[in-house]
Amino acid sequence: MAEKKELYLGYTTDKAITPFFQEFLENLDEDRLMKSVCTSCGEEYLPPRQHCQKCLSEAKLTEMTEREATLYSYVIVDFAPETLSSKQPYVVAIGEFPSGLKLTAHITNLTDMPTVGMPLKLGFAKEGEGKMITYRWLV
Amino acid sequence: MVRRVAVVAGGHSKFGKRYDATMRELTAEAYKPIFDEGITQDKIDATVLSYAASQFTGQGAGSALMADYIGLQNKPHLRCESACATGTASLRAAWGMVASGLYDVMLVLGVEQMNRVSSATATEYMSRAGDMRWEYPYGISFPAFYALMASRYMSEYNMPHDILAKIAVKSHHYGAQNPKAHLPKEITFEEANSAIPICRPLNLYDCSLITDGAAGVVIAAEDRVKEFTDRPMWIKGIGAGASDNMIQDRPSLTSIPGAKYAAKAAYKMAGLEPKDMDMAEVHDCFTIAELIAYEDCGFAEPGKGREIVENKENYHDGRIPVNCDGGLKSKGHPLGATGISMTYEVLKQMRGEADKPSRQIDDVKHGFVHNVGQSGQFVNCFIYERGW
Repeated sequence: MAEKKELYLGYTTDKAITPFFQEFLENLDEDRLMKSVCTSCGEEYLPPRQHCQKCLSEAKLTEMTEREATLYSYVIVDFAPETLSSKQPYVVAIGEFPSGLKLTAHITNLTDMPTVGMPLKLGFAKEGEGKMITYRWLV
Repeated sequence: MVRRVAVVAGGHSKFGKRYDATMRELTAEAYKPIFDEGITQDKIDATVLSYAASQFTGQGAGSALMADYIGLQNKPHLRCESACATGTASLRAAWGMVASGLYDVMLVLGVEQMNRVSSATATEYMSRAGDMRWEYPYGISFPAFYALMASRYMSEYNMPHDILAKIAVKSHHYGAQNPKAHLPKEITFEEANSAIPICRPLNLYDCSLITDGAAGVVIAAEDRVKEFTDRPMWIKGIGAGASDNMIQDRPSLTSIPGAKYAAKAAYKMAGLEPKDMDMAEVHDCFTIAELIAYEDCGFAEPGKGREIVENKENYHDGRIPVNCDGGLKSKGHPLGATGISMTYEVLKQMRGEADKPSRQIDDVKHGFVHNVGQSGQFVNCFIYERGW
């Protein structure tokens, strides 16, 4: 395996990076969003879990092929937690893929107020010399 | 054998920005009225002394400090933590210990001291109750979780923000009549509907307060109750529930699944129905939370909670008076104290001891408490019955 690249998800200060999460981040770094699929019962998880919630078997990272979703719910964060104060206001959205899997991320290119049910597209972004990486929603 | 258990006394500190006190003094302030009623330290077998988060003070193992400060240092104590449902989690634990016969008389006291840090820091600490790997990196503050519910609710049921503003007006109306409230002032509908945004669609007046305070109750086994009071409040039903940790994983955002479950379980244990309740204390950390609580507790059908608001059925002389002490919104929300404060309020209302006639609910025989932790991951519901 290649040397471990230093990567963080979004605006986190959490440095608890496990091998499973590192693999997720390295894929994300190359614009691939990974879900996980249980090797025993086939249950799917997004965001991915290393252990199946139902049978506790190992779940393997598998690339998401869906790119389009609809806005399930949103919030415009006007007063942010301390670590994101400089970014406020920002919009957090739960997007729902046709498969029913959901993903919580920022919408970064809104020009108008968001509405429940509006179409969203999956995007990717990097900040901080490329160490801070994320998936995001685009309209 | 399960013994019947009653709440026999209660005490409550002033809620607010209590720069004059720490968790020590707040604990004493809540225990003092109980002590003055004759429930001295020697009468208490054991305690549950709780607070939700040590980050706010930096104090670890605080239950020992609390016990020591009020002269209960030699009685067995423990702390329960369930985020904002810490108070009722403590009561649920203590009920089990008394009902089982392990102890006869217990003090259950909750406290929180939140104002030694800035609002931004407090918001930061509370956002860490979300999933640290998947939610925290996106700055989802505590109000943001409830705003996600509000956006979805308002869209599914085509509800304007006006309804939420009316809930805030009601909370402040009653908070203004509660001398222990953090923000005891009336607000107008216009103020509530157009305040500065915090987490849109929620604004300043949709949000509860960052409060310091404490509240305590004493519970006793049935054969000991008479030693303490001739006006006991029986614990008739208890229900607890839980919900998916990540809010995106919930089957619905217009209801809190754990709250629905908890309420149902409490009614079942009590052998009572929502229509039997004469008052309710619900967890209005945000106005949308109060609206959803009407539905989860069975006071309105899904999507119809707004009718309770529009018809003012939630006022002290209405069909189901809710939070006539000002609620978390105006009375304040010291996390670990909140569930006990709700219990205290039901006791006061039942005994006809609300501070002013204008907030006294008439003839309370049954009272309901709904206390939610985080955004629904922990829920406890209690049903109380007048014992005289």
